[in-house]
Amino acid sequence: MSRIPIKLGILIKLRSKTMQTLGEHKLPHFFHYPPYFTLQPVRETREKQIQLWKELILDYCRVQKIFVIGLEEDFPLFSNPAIERSLNHEAREAFLSAIVLDGRAEWMDKSHRQCLILWHRIKDWADIILHLVKENGLEDSVLTVEEIRTGVESRGTDIHGMDRGVLMRALKLLENKGKLAIFKGASTDDEGVKFSV
Amino acid sequence: MRRRPGIGGLQTAAAARDQYRLLGENVAKLRTDLMKEQLSTFRSQLEDFARKHKNDIRKNPAFRSQFHEMCAKVGVDPLASNKGFWAELLGIGDFYYELGVQIVDICLATRPINGGLINLEELCKILSQRRKGAREAVSEDDCLRAISKLKVLGSGFEVITVGKRKLVRSVPTELKKDHNEILELSQAQGFVTVEEVERRLSWSTGRATDALETLLDEGLAMIDDGHRDGKRRYWFPCVSSVSSFVASETL
Repeated sequence: MSRIPIKLGILIKLRSKTMQTLGEHKLPHFFHYPPYFTLQPVRETREKQIQLWKELILDYCRVQKIFVIGLEEDFPLFSNPAIERSLNHEAREAFLSAIVLDGRAEWMDKSHRQCLILWHRIKDWADIILHLVKENGLEDSVLTVEEIRTGVESRGTDIHGMDRGVLMRALKLLENKGKLAIFKGASTDDEGVKFSV
Repeated sequence: MRRRPGIGGLQTAAAARDQYRLLGENVAKLRTDLMKEQLSTFRSQLEDFARKHKNDIRKNPAFRSQFHEMCAKVGVDPLASNKGFWAELLGIGDFYYELGVQIVDICLATRPINGGLINLEELCKILSQRRKGAREAVSEDDCLRAISKLKVLGSGFEVITVGKRKLVRSVPTELKKDHNEILELSQAQGFVTVEEVERRLSWSTGRATDALETLLDEGLAMIDDGHRDGKRRYWFPCVSSVSSFVASETL
């Protein structure tokens, strides 16, 4: 078989033309270099690889407002069809575990099948909520949890449409600090929050 | 002069030889003096030239490179010391010093990805990107000069040639011949397989595997087990454009 030399640079450019972005998200170039989809055995190389993937995953989740990643599901970053490569289970777990170790994610189950991504830490969410309250003059108001999550005031902020579980944890943190009180509403549908910021 | 036999003849011959020798020495001295004068004229003309074209030398890499060649011919090294005439006139010592520092920086930043071997072309590209705001453009020739100055510091920096490419080595480990051959082979597609190495270089499996594993351990190669044919591929970031991709995001 005669070997046709292919300039790798051109190869990468051609393929990345079809996948420079994932939705609106611009992808870093390591995503188009096949070996990055195999967990590297050499420590220094692996550390760099993990760092790059951690940053990409957190960034992507923040922009797309993704809170949960299922390891066995089709999370878009886990494969790049343009170069015909996918992360195997071991690699996926390694990268997400690294994020967990950084305190920016939590395993939701013992078998590490679901991972909660805290692209804002809980205390950061708490600060964002306080900011929302102050910005909108809600210091003494009462709102339902849903109103906080999807109400007019939340539009244009990270709070809008956020994961309810994470929101509750942030609210509980603020409750412990005496900034608000959570109570059961008149109808059993939703909980209410009285702010005393 | 007529040759005369006998002692008188010998003395005349000796005197003649002496005179010829003196004449020869004078001629030699004349030639040397002439050369020295020519050289000194040339040097002062070179200095005039440098003064006049200072800006061009600073801004234009091709011009700069030719200037260096001229200097080399005359035995002048504008970079020999940061003090002195040339440094003051051109301020060129600082330029190369600065380049050297930036080159070291880039090599260190990309080392986790390429194991300490980077394509010269890539290095220059990253350097140009970093220096976008600067007045002076940078050529490969400038990079090579800056690196040769670094070498003098004993910092382990060296430029090696593998196949058609020049690679800059920033780690003390030297490339063995076997490794060099694999790198050359990898330039076609950016990667090799064990089988390919065996076949193309006519090596045993053991020899091929050993060499590839060593390159892997030294951080010069990355493995790729994701191809559907199931064969492990060894990729070499230093022969492709990956260093610049990753470097531009971390620098």
